[in-house]
Amino acid sequence: MSGAREASRPIISATNLCKVYVRGREEIKALDNATFEVGVGEFVALVGPSGAGKSTLLNLVGCMDAPSSGTLKLMGRSVEQLAEAERTRLRRDQLGFVFQHFGLVPTLTVAENIALPALFARRSATGKTEELLAKVGLEHRRDHRPHELSGGEMQRAAIARALVNNPALLLADEPTGNLDSATGETIIELFARLNRDGLTILVVTHNSRLANSAHRHIELVDGRLRQGVTTDLQSRAPMLTIYPAPA
Amino acid sequence: MTWVELSLKEWQRRPLRTSLTTAGVAIATAALFSLLAFQRGYREGVRQELDRLGAHVLLAPKGCPYDAASMALHGASWPCYLKQSYLKEVRTVPEVATAAPVFMAALYGLESRQTVYVGIESNILALRPSWRITGHFPAREGDLLLGSEIAQRYGWHVGQPVPLPGLQNQFGTVVAVLAPTQGADDTFIHLLLSDAQRRFHHPGELTHILVRLKDPNDMDKAVAQLRGCDAGLAMNVVPLAHVFHTIQALVNSTRLLLGCIAMVALLAAGAGVSNTILIAVAERRRELGMMRAIGASSGDIFRLVWFETLQTCLGGAIAGIVVSFLAAREVEALVRARLPFSPSGSLIRWEWWVVGVCLGCALLLGSLAGLLPAARAAAVPPMMSIRNRGGWT
Repeated sequence: MSGAREASRPIISATNLCKVYVRGREEIKALDNATFEVGVGEFVALVGPSGAGKSTLLNLVGCMDAPSSGTLKLMGRSVEQLAEAERTRLRRDQLGFVFQHFGLVPTLTVAENIALPALFARRSATGKTEELLAKVGLEHRRDHRPHELSGGEMQRAAIARALVNNPALLLADEPTGNLDSATGETIIELFARLNRDGLTILVVTHNSRLANSAHRHIELVDGRLRQGVTTDLQSRAPMLTIYPAPA
Repeated sequence: MTWVELSLKEWQRRPLRTSLTTAGVAIATAALFSLLAFQRGYREGVRQELDRLGAHVLLAPKGCPYDAASMALHGASWPCYLKQSYLKEVRTVPEVATAAPVFMAALYGLESRQTVYVGIESNILALRPSWRITGHFPAREGDLLLGSEIAQRYGWHVGQPVPLPGLQNQFGTVVAVLAPTQGADDTFIHLLLSDAQRRFHHPGELTHILVRLKDPNDMDKAVAQLRGCDAGLAMNVVPLAHVFHTIQALVNSTRLLLGCIAMVALLAAGAGVSNTILIAVAERRRELGMMRAIGASSGDIFRLVWFETLQTCLGGAIAGIVVSFLAAREVEALVRARLPFSPSGSLIRWEWWVVGVCLGCALLLGSLAGLLPAARAAAVPPMMSIRNRGGWT
């Protein structure tokens, strides 16, 4: 299934999203009037130069931070007014996170790392863990600790962990940033496979191979979404413009 | 995986640091455990020892009453003596049920081993109802009643003629052996009073008199009468219950001081635990942020770090209690060497409530010590999982 075709039912809907950080007397506008949508089943790459506000946007979409202004809806639910406990529930039950630095707990085995979000959700994850280990090809590494794994294996374990609570949306922050190109390729293939299975993915990346494997990309420059038409990278057909119209 | 397992795994991250922190708690808990167990053991030991003596009042030559009690209980050579004629006067006091005269002498043989000879009369049996004798009570000079330990040490048995240790060319016949009493009697050689006086060249003299009252409630009256008689001027009248209470009061005041030291040690250990966990939290900010990002609530993180603190303290407490058990003998020897009066038998006796108090203190300590690190950890924002990489961009 190509999720791009279901873009009419947005899983992320952002309107005039702004984020301003205050450092002393200085105000830094990290995100400026971002308006976009991501549909169910889409695979979207968030690209742009360093300092453009990609991680800020990911923090907002990941309910790790609140926008300064604008509206953000996840699964049709406005999140900007949510209390911290509700944000936590949303992160736990609806979102999966993959970090550039993998974020595996060094004292836990691969299986235990994968089961960690289920512990936070007070669920048993025994069967699900085994299923995910098989899905990411790490059955043989089940009882190994992170330091015994290669970078690619660690990232696959992190992806399995992100999936253990059956999230509706997978958010990834530079998932290939710490990997060599060959290993990065296996992660790109894994993302593509997960998306084919119906998972919606929003990935922040500098990796052109990963960006190109997405259905479309959203480009951020200096906190603003780049005006223009996004491209369906698979069909190379122009898609509906979701950026704000030029003033 | 459970929350407890998750926090237990944290021990593997910095094993040396965690072990040292745990050792601090272990030392403090060991001090508290030993103190509580000693208090219990000492009190019981003194009480049992005095009970074993079977007397309510000790009549001894003038001098320190505690030294006299200690010598009567453990056996020693006495520096001065009572006249045997005092006995007659003591027996005229109406409250006195039994007045048992004793002549005691200690000799050192080879290997600095002490042999204690105790001259007694058969009325001592009224004070020692718990004695179980194989054979018969000494009836004539040369008859010996051996404590179980001394019989075992020399391999002597009833009916055997034996040389008297420490007394050259003197012999006796074992006529009876005592069943183990768990007291100093097990190490004594008992013989007839007149026989002991003769062998040690103190005819008509006693080292002490053990007095049992008809009614222990008449203690004050009996003591007043004993002190008031002619012989009372030459004797030290020592009510053993008073000795017990005075010793106990002294030990209690020492215990208070030691208790304060143990509490300070516990507080210092708690501060150490808190500091260590705070450092660990600072080192794990990104990891904690990651946990928050993947669905842990701030309450979950608080609980996780709090459990870790509790486990450190509980682990330390268990280690401390185990070490106290293993080192009980050495600690007891150390304490015994510094006490003016120490009963035979174990000075350190534990009971489950002592273990419970120590574990409870450790848990309370862990609960308090964990509050600040747990609160700090719970306040780590989920953004920390990304921010640490290189700012907020």
